[in-house]
Order: sequence, then structure tokens, then C-alpha cells
Amino acid sequence: MSNVALAEKLAVIVGDRFVLQRDGDLLVYNSDGLPGYRRKPRLAVFPGSREETVAVVRALADAGAAFVPRGAGTGLSGGALADDVVLLGLHRLKRVMSIDQENLRAVVEPGVVNLVLNKTIAPLGLLYAPDPSSEAACTIGGNLAENAGGPHCLKYGVTLNHILAITALLPNGEIMSLGNPEGEIDGYDLRGAFIGSEGCFGVALDATVRLTKKPVAVRTMLADFTSVDSAAHVTSAIIASGIIPAALEFMDEATIKVVESSVYAAGYPSDAAAVLLIEVDGNEAGVSADRDAIEKICLDGGARAVKVARTEAERGRLWQGRKKAFGAMGRMAPHLVVQDAVIPRTKLAPVLRRIAEIAAANRVTVCNVFHAGDGNLHPNIPYNADDPDESERVHRSMGEIMHACVDAGGSITGEHGVGLDKIGYIDLIFSAESLRAMCRLREVFDPDHRSNPGKVVPIHACQEWRATPAGRKSPASELVAVSAESQGV
Amino acid sequence: MTIPLASAISPAADAVREVILEAFGGTIPLRVSGRGHWIDAGRPVPAKKILSLAPHSGVVDYVPGDLTITVRGGTTLREIEQIVGHERQWFPLDPYGSDDGTIGATVATGSFGPLAHGFGRARDLVLGLEFVTGDGRVVRGGGRVVKNVAGFDLVRLITGSWGTIGIVTEVTIRLYSLPPHPLTLALKVPDAPSALAQRIKSLLSAPINPLAVELLDAEVAGLVGLPCRPAILVELGGNEAAVNSQKDVIAALGGASEVFPEVWRRLRVLDDLAAGPATYPHPEPNIVLRISSLPGRVADIWNMVKKVLEPLPSARVHSSVGLGIVRCILPPSSGFETVHTLVESCPGATVVCERMPRELWPLISPSVVADKISQGIKRTFDPQGILNPCILGS
Repeated sequence: MSNVALAEKLAVIVGDRFVLQRDGDLLVYNSDGLPGYRRKPRLAVFPGSREETVAVVRALADAGAAFVPRGAGTGLSGGALADDVVLLGLHRLKRVMSIDQENLRAVVEPGVVNLVLNKTIAPLGLLYAPDPSSEAACTIGGNLAENAGGPHCLKYGVTLNHILAITALLPNGEIMSLGNPEGEIDGYDLRGAFIGSEGCFGVALDATVRLTKKPVAVRTMLADFTSVDSAAHVTSAIIASGIIPAALEFMDEATIKVVESSVYAAGYPSDAAAVLLIEVDGNEAGVSADRDAIEKICLDGGARAVKVARTEAERGRLWQGRKKAFGAMGRMAPHLVVQDAVIPRTKLAPVLRRIAEIAAANRVTVCNVFHAGDGNLHPNIPYNADDPDESERVHRSMGEIMHACVDAGGSITGEHGVGLDKIGYIDLIFSAESLRAMCRLREVFDPDHRSNPGKVVPIHACQEWRATPAGRKSPASELVAVSAESQGV
Repeated sequence: MTIPLASAISPAADAVREVILEAFGGTIPLRVSGRGHWIDAGRPVPAKKILSLAPHSGVVDYVPGDLTITVRGGTTLREIEQIVGHERQWFPLDPYGSDDGTIGATVATGSFGPLAHGFGRARDLVLGLEFVTGDGRVVRGGGRVVKNVAGFDLVRLITGSWGTIGIVTEVTIRLYSLPPHPLTLALKVPDAPSALAQRIKSLLSAPINPLAVELLDAEVAGLVGLPCRPAILVELGGNEAAVNSQKDVIAALGGASEVFPEVWRRLRVLDDLAAGPATYPHPEPNIVLRISSLPGRVADIWNMVKKVLEPLPSARVHSSVGLGIVRCILPPSSGFETVHTLVESCPGATVVCERMPRELWPLISPSVVADKISQGIKRTFDPQGILNPCILGS
């Protein structure tokens, strides 16, 4: 079907205003949170209701057209980029459909912004725990697709642990309930399989999320160090002590400097080699004891000082610097790459040393700001993507850092997703057989690879699943391998 | 060049693959088993051969500071407890049954116990696994780190799939440090059924963070060594100040007393104690089923269940109230009428059966692999249908 004909068909469903096809209109959708990647959608469509979304996806299925679901486009893996396929924006589906205070759950549409949900439930003394740094803009649908994390996931778990059920719209237009909003899951955990599938298994029309009682007391501390090694060792020591902080965040000197010179200045000590932002929560007596224990571990481990936020405003300021650090890096250069590898927590110090060596050898600036308690690194490199020499050095550095993390026993992504950005690294941690298994799982949900084609698992991995295991001929080996044409792209 | 961990094939997987390929060629149905302790759980399996993971046990990788451990599928929960206990750590998953059950079976059946209140279920604690599919492919999902979104989530898919799409040969799990000041309290339960809902509500909405909250009926309370009257057990953990402060909050609700922590271990082995007149040498397994709903409905469901089971004095009922689960253990002779009435008396609730006599399964709990996606997954990962056939339904 031609672009014009498809656009007309979709406009009948959503109205002319909500179908974009001119290059100028689509420009803003050419990137997500990683502006170094650009892909132009063939058109963009923005349904305004659940019914319109179902009608749009069915129309796309009828037309055999591939599409990329997108929330707020804040993702950091190029996962929401539509490369000459339809971009399906879901940010208009933003109803909080119900809140059940007694049973600690809410039903929300995918376009509900994470922070909006939290502001809605805050007066009830409740919170929705996963808190990505982009919480002010990112949507629950996007969080669900990426299995998003955030600083407080150290104690409370990631999105997966907070989604009880999903009403899913499969790529063929069928609606299916995954999980059980009111009881146990009996049978395969399709909810679990769908969460974090990066939009490759379909679209969430709504999600039943688990709410958490707001802790009675919170203590937020900033420990500053004159050496990165000390901060890394203290991180491991806090985790090993048995205390589970609500959050344990690391910022290095380069990050501190850029934050402190921005409008998000948080009062971090500019001469520190690293700071740890540590939060504990619970009841008043418990957090006081945890604070004392953590303060001692920090000071014993070489911290110059441990500052405790005395007011909610002070706490907010300390967090602002951390949460807006990505934004502050926009002052350094027009583009930014960030990685998201996770390493075992005992390997923090050696891996951070290795990252510093890689940065020096490639003459790039790495700003480390990350979830230290989980071992979830975020090395950021601000750069100018229009400078080919610098781009080459930056991407080489990123590759070397990724290898260092995998060599340390880590994973290539902890919360940002594979998307487009890390698809070249996924075979560092999964065998061809494992990737084929993932591909086959995807094909159960989306046999034609029409939902977010070309992401997460490289296409070549999908072609040999039906080949023989251990030389034995499988009865299904006659099945046609997925070709580029059958993807509908 | 380093060989990535995730590409390695474990000796256990190699051995399992051999058996599977043999079975696959001859399409021999296999009953997958850990150490055989829960072999009577789930629907009847028409298998010709048992594939046991028992020979494949032991630690693959354990760095205490990382609070993760990787073990082979046949490793028992007891072995894990002992190994990590030396480092004052624990794996806070307490499925019903004995500690001689294996981690592979625990993960495959998605089992959990009262601690799921504070730590989540198996699906929340498994970080990575290796499994062998029904056509002999060795696959890994997840990894060995505590946070990981790389690739599609095969870990959640396999956890709770009852060995029907893959045999778990290696598991990486999340550990926690043992709570420095554990404390178990028992709260009195009001005699009037109508007051139960308020009691549960006031406890769940109190400013406390219990690790487990379990309501016991009089029969269960007696069997775990408490006075024979209904009680709510609350397990607390954390630093001394945090625990004492929570203890004060609970004490203010009234009727709370400290009890010995051994009650939790006794609660886990209730299933294997004969319900009703004991027979020797080995009683028929009890009927065990869970009725789950919203936590706010627990008191109603509890009262209905107790009413239905009134004629069966040896029946036992307990409830993870915060999870919305009421678990019933009935004598094997209870028969269709009782079980059917029990299920029918809780409309809208989800009933998950753990153990039942062979003939009751098709009447009480039809297939749960009923939708197209689940069926597609089964066909994809076990094309010949040789892995635990019929255990989730035909």
C-alpha cells in the first residue's frame, strides 16, 4: 500500500491532525534520547483512544505494514526509531483508569507519564517505585516495553516486579490479557515475557501496576571521596553489610563538574573525585541506625565527609543533580552516547579503572553517573557526531568499554534496552542458539516481525533456528526462514 | 579471546541434551524430575521415562560480595542454604515442601512460600538460567548480574512453566544478607468472622515492612507448635531499631506475642503430614490447592472456605494475606464434591491446584495452556511434546 493511501486510511480512524507524513513534521521523531541515531519514519500516527489504537493496529495488519510503538521517545537505545516504517505514538492514551488504594494497584494507559502517576497517587501515601531519570517525561508504556529501572530499583525492583497484568494488543490486532490483575498466574508467565520485549511483541493497551506504601522516613546522604577506587570499594562494602539502601548512586568528577556548572547545580563538592548519593528508607528508628552504619562505612572507606539532607528541599536538590545529569551534559557537546552495562558489584573498582584507561587512550571524556548499588554503569561520552574523527574515537571507546564489562561477567544492558544501539553487542553474551530461541519466541507473538522490526535480536540470528540441533534433522526444518521481505519492511 | 559465560554449555545441559535427543528421535515422553520430592504435584503425566536432574548438583559460581550464586539445576535448597549461610546470606524463597527439593524444580514450578510477601516469588528472584528445549537445544536467558534487560526474557518464560518447554540445568539467583535481627510475632485473630477483614486491613496498612504475613487456622497453628487457635504470623527483619519500632506498631494493634522462628519451617512441611487419620507406610498425598484474589478479598474467601470445610475437621487452611492467597490442604479422600464446592464458593478467584488425585484434575482444573500464544510457545520449544506432557493440560 502506498504511503498516501495508508495515511488516508489511518486518518479516517484518528483524524487528519494525528497522521504526519511531511519530512518537516516527522523530524522530531527521527531520534529518541540518543540523538546520534537518526531514522525517518514513513509516517507517524497518534491514536487518541484505546479503540483508535486497536483500529490503527488492525489497519496496519491488513496493509502488512510494519510499525514501531513509541511512548515519549526518551529511550536511550534507539529502540523507538522507525526506519521507513510507521511510527505509532501512544502518548495520547494517558488515562489513569483506576486506583485501588486497599489492594495497592492502579490501572493505567500506556501514555501516562511516570511522574504524573506518582503525583496522582502521592496524596494517598503511595508511590509507583520504578523511577527512571526521565520520569518527568517517560511513559509507563515505554517503561514496560524497556523494563525500565531507576535509582530506587536497588531496593524496590525494576518495572517487571511492578506490573501485575497487561492488556496487550498483538501485532495482528488481537487483544489478549497477560498476567492476572487479581490473583496468581497459572500457566506460562506471558506477562513476564512481554515486559521488556521492547515493543517487538505488540502494544500494551493498559497495565495493572503495583503501588507501594510511601516509607515513613527517608535519609539522603552525600558522601564525597578523593578517589574513585575508594567510592567503588565503599559501594561494595555497603552492599555486603546487609543494608539495602533505597538508592546508591555514583557520580565521578567529570559529572560533578558539569552538573555544578549547570542550572541543576546541587551543591556537590567540585573538587571530589567521586560522590555517592545514598538513600535509606523505612521507619524513623531504622533509617537512623542505617544512616549511622553507612556513615561509618563511608568514613572508614576514605570518604572526606558525609552530608545528610536536613530538609525535603535539600533532599530534592541532591537528587536534582543526579536526575538531571544527562541534561546537564548537553552543555558540553551537541551529542551524547551512554552505555548501560551491568557488572558484578565486586568488580566496580577494576572496571572503572579500565574505563578511565580506555577514555585516556581514545582522548574522550567519560562522565560516569550510575546505579552503583546494582553495578549498573552509565558511562556517558558527550561528543560532536558531525566530527567523523571524534565519532570514531567515541564509538571505539564504547566498544572497548562494553567488552571490558562483558569480560568482568556483566551484561550489555541493565535498563535501557538493546534497541538499535546494542544489537551489535548482543552476541557477546548470548550464544547463537540462545538468540535463535529469543527470535522464535518473538515469532510466536509477531510471526512477520512487523512490530519494531530489526531491534533487539539481529535478523541473522533468526534464520537458522530450524536447522538441525546436534546434526539431527528436526521435523520443522522445512519451515521457511524469515527473510527481509517477510518482515514487511 | 575470552569465551563469554553465556555461550558455555554446562556438563548438565550436555547430559540432558543427550537424553532429550534420544527421546526426541523416538518421541519418548519424559517426566522431568529434580530429586523426585514433588513428583506427585501437577496433572498426571503419561511419561515413559524419568529424566532426573539429581546427578547435576553443586555450585558453579559464588562470589559472596555480589550477592548472587549460580548453581546446577539439581542442587537442593538445603545445600544452597548451607553454602550461603556460611556468609550470613540467604535465598529468601521458602516453597512448601522439604528443603530436599531442588532449585531446578523450584524454578520450573514457580514455587514460593510466605516470604514472597517481602521478597517476591521465584520469578522475581531468578536472574539467569540455562535450559534444554524439547528438541535438544541448549539455551541461556538472563545472566549473572542483578539487573539485566538484554534480549527477550526467557527467564520469566521458563520460570513456572513446569518443565514443559525447557529443562532447567543451571540457575543464577539473587541472595540477600540474613536479617541481623529476625523476629516472629503471632497475633490473635478475632473469633467473629466479620472482624477478620478489619484485623487484616489494619495490619497490612500499618507502617511496617514485614518479610512475611501468614494467617493460620487453628489446625495449622497447632501443627506448627502454637496454641490451637487461629493466628497471624508476622516475620520482621532488619536492624534492631527498625525491628523494635515495627514490633511496637504491631503491639499497639493488640494481641501480639513473640514466637519461636521454627514455626516457619514447620509450616513449609505441612503438606507432607497426613491430613486426617494417618496411614502407614506412606499416606496418599493430600489435596493441595490455592485460591487467589485481591488481598482485600482474603477475609471473605477465608470465611467461605472455612464454612465449606467445616465438615472436614482435619482440613488445614492458611493464607499469605498480603498476596491474596488462601491455601487449602485436604485429606486425599475429600472427593470431587468438596473440592468442587470449594472452588465454586469463591467466584472470580483464581484456583491453582498443586496436588490432586488423578481423576479430579480434568474435572477441577482444565488446561492452562489454552490460548494461542501459550500453545505456540509450547510447539516452538517442544515440537514433539515430549517434556512433561499434559502436566499443564493437554
